[in-house]
Amino acid sequence: MAPAAWLRHNAEHYLLVAAQQRVAGRHGLTVPLPPRQAKDRFFLSVFVPVYQRLPWNLRRAVLQRMPGSHRRTWHQRARSPLGPAV
Amino acid sequence: MATRTVIVGGGAAGIGAAGAFKGAMPAGEVVVFTEFEDAAYSPCGIPYVHGKEIPSFEALFLATKEQYAQQGIDIRYETMVTELDLDAGAVTVAGKGREPFDRLIVATGFDYADPGVPGTDLQGLYYVKNIRRAMEWDKVLDSVKAAVVVEATPLGLEMVTALAHRGIETHVIDHRPWALSDLADPDIVEPIHQAWADAGVKMHFGVELKGFVGEGRVRAVETSEGSIDADLAVVCTKKVPNNALAKAAGLKLGSTGGVIVDDRMATSVDRVFAAGDCTEIPLGVTNVGVQGLTGSHAYAQGKVAGINAGGGHRTYQPVYIPWGMVAGDWMIGGVAFGETAAEALGIPYVMGQAEGISRARYFPGVRKVKVKLLAEPDTLRLIGAQMAGGEGIKERADFLAMAVKTGITLDDLAFMENVYSPPIGALNEPIALAAQNGLSRLGR
Repeated sequence: MAPAAWLRHNAEHYLLVAAQQRVAGRHGLTVPLPPRQAKDRFFLSVFVPVYQRLPWNLRRAVLQRMPGSHRRTWHQRARSPLGPAV
Repeated sequence: MATRTVIVGGGAAGIGAAGAFKGAMPAGEVVVFTEFEDAAYSPCGIPYVHGKEIPSFEALFLATKEQYAQQGIDIRYETMVTELDLDAGAVTVAGKGREPFDRLIVATGFDYADPGVPGTDLQGLYYVKNIRRAMEWDKVLDSVKAAVVVEATPLGLEMVTALAHRGIETHVIDHRPWALSDLADPDIVEPIHQAWADAGVKMHFGVELKGFVGEGRVRAVETSEGSIDADLAVVCTKKVPNNALAKAAGLKLGSTGGVIVDDRMATSVDRVFAAGDCTEIPLGVTNVGVQGLTGSHAYAQGKVAGINAGGGHRTYQPVYIPWGMVAGDWMIGGVAFGETAAEALGIPYVMGQAEGISRARYFPGVRKVKVKLLAEPDTLRLIGAQMAGGEGIKERADFLAMAVKTGITLDDLAFMENVYSPPIGALNEPIALAAQNGLSRLGR
């Protein structure tokens, strides 16, 4: 797996695990954390808290730097002007 | 000038591309290679045949082989492409040799993520994909007493519901805390859990899969909470792009593993297009690539690729992913972000939610409709929605996808016009109520 794909795969997984904990708590649910192996500990104790402390604009900038289709040409379709159509 | 286009893959993207290519260039030659016995059927309908809601698999086919031949689409069935030689402009077909192309469309689809546990070589593990295998499995289901569905993904949800509907003792295991938890919020999924409980489904959430156990054939599924006896395991892990050929040929892949494409579905190599589950497409809300969309997305992408391969000009757009599904007599759905996904990415949002009704309160058959709207805090532009209810969820998800795409705000939705007709619509539209509640929470 390419480094960017490895990072994205793990980042998505552990960010979702942490988010599911918080959202479940808000809805009065208790969900168990996954088993704590070295990789789990690193992502849940280091990566997720650091990611959450970064401002959204910085996170967005990092996400935009990842390789992917979003870095190719995607034209925005022009919208019709407001006002009566005819 | 007539062009020879080769398409690798006979699913929704491949067949959509073939038809669109012939439309754009009637004199052009198009050859579709598929490893399977059939092309162009609706695999999404397979769980509903298993659940006896659709009487036969034949209903899932879109057209006959003769009809494709009459349209000038040359489909080579049960034919495996083993190499894409992009420099020479040819593909290698197992046992047949090389086939040249002027344009190539890669539509190789998806695989299920490897469960990564012992016992995946046992018989009795069902990966729902190919309709011929589904026909064989449907006969097996007649004698199955207990089944375990591995992971409550969208397909997993459909298979759990189908197996329970068929009267099979059905277990679902998932390491995540609730069904569809990468996509939907717990309050939205709650009616699904209730419907499953009513149908006797045994739910095992927060439980790790440890392996499949048996001698030649699966007889139990081992989990972190013990063993579950079963004579069938349906593996519904996440869809991953089937990109071994594309990668070996040197096509650039994104961080999802999907082939990188632009809005013409053109890849990093001239004359080569890609479409469907093997690609990644930007999500409009964040402009980050996503992968593993629906058959509807794949078919539309295939048509864009086919038109462009045929010399036309058509563009695809970033996606907003309206989704919806049914379990029991409940429907759930949404678009783009819910609370969980927004929390995971750390996207700032404000939320409005309401519980409305689907018809006039006095009209027979009226059902509750719960709506949650997420909006960007400064502009109040909609960034996502989630819904649960008895009817009208699909139509609201489609509408809200267009609302997110066009920059509609909570202010717009709070006083939107809506159809008021007692049998089909209530005085107060639940979407408008949710937006009004969101504005009220913000003191606006």
